[in-house]
Amino acid sequence: MHQIFFWGFALLAVFSALMVITRRNVVHSALFLISTFFWVAAIYILLEAELLAAIQILVYAGAIMVLIVFTILLIHVEETKIINPWQRQRPIAILLGVFLLGEIFLILSRALFPESIAGTALQQVAQEGNTEAVGKLLYTKYLFPFEVASILLLAAMIGAIVMAKREIEK
Amino acid sequence: MDTSLSLFGDYQVIHNYLPILVFIIFAFAFAIGTLIFSYLVRPNKPDPEKLSPYECGIPPMMDARERFSIRFFIIAMLFLLFDVEVVFLYPWAVVYNKIGLYGFVEMMLFIAILLVGYIYAWRKGALEWE
Amino acid sequence: MIPISHYLTLGAIIFIIGSIGVLTRKNAIIILMSIELMLNGVNITLVAFSYHLADLTGQIFAIFVVAVAAGEAAVGLAIIIALFRCRATVNVDEIQLLKW
Repeated sequence: MHQIFFWGFALLAVFSALMVITRRNVVHSALFLISTFFWVAAIYILLEAELLAAIQILVYAGAIMVLIVFTILLIHVEETKIINPWQRQRPIAILLGVFLLGEIFLILSRALFPESIAGTALQQVAQEGNTEAVGKLLYTKYLFPFEVASILLLAAMIGAIVMAKREIEK
Repeated sequence: MDTSLSLFGDYQVIHNYLPILVFIIFAFAFAIGTLIFSYLVRPNKPDPEKLSPYECGIPPMMDARERFSIRFFIIAMLFLLFDVEVVFLYPWAVVYNKIGLYGFVEMMLFIAILLVGYIYAWRKGALEWE
Repeated sequence: MIPISHYLTLGAIIFIIGSIGVLTRKNAIIILMSIELMLNGVNITLVAFSYHLADLTGQIFAIFVVAVAAGEAAVGLAIIIALFRCRATVNVDEIQLLKW
């Protein structure tokens, strides 16, 4: 059962990701990116990270994609020209990517992973739920990164307003 | 345990999500099935008038892809950042009874820092629509 | 039971698709979208380790990655808009003032 779901979700995610970087029309890329986010959320559910799956859909598919689509509408890009001034960059990039992938395959095929203890976590999480377990850890042990995240969001907010504000004042 | 899930062996978290998957499959199947069915049964006589985009019955005035106002971007950006804040609030609300006053103070600090950004956006006029 | 290497491979493939997108595309918006893909690939790796080692730290780190991705999208897209306003292009090959 798990196998079927994993292969289905993984193939759909990789297919959508490939579509994102190969479509000429940027709106099509954005739509395939939403689809990728959904399939990655499904992978998170297979890994029993339910809170993260919900966050993935809320923040990525819900908010980040709205922002990207608004930007596309805002800057009104015509479809990308087929003429490529830097023809030689593409084969080099693909070659490098394939090399990196081969390297990762090689390492993964020889690596020794510690024995999976997923079963024990399953019982623990079944008692209190994923959100509660994450919350407990996040607001005690990882308190400082959590507060730093708020400063990061503040900096992002101010930065984005400064970048975009010229037209508001006008 | 729910016996209706015995088809899939032992209980696992993923089984809670099977109804959602079935729902998604049915939703897609219904949409695609309706499109295919209507394609098969409808008469197909296109003319330029029918192919033009529908704009309240009057002839289209201009290209649909005109430039948007920057305000849409500002609002979406504020939505995104406060959305992330709410995402952090959610697990906090779930464990609030367990961590008590300590958790309350840390979340108030978090909200206070983001409130600075909110006030900044307000003062800069990012929330005005005029 | 799916071995952890499957998940790690999936994360690596999505990461590499994202990096190829960053290297080959000219449109700055698609480059940003490819960066989001790379972050997703990393998140899959983190969550896979979190599941197989029964340690929730990986998931918490992934939540912080999502927060960073949100900030990055907000600032990155604002930069693209500011760039478009003064150069009237989002093609990264035409933005070469700092290139020598």
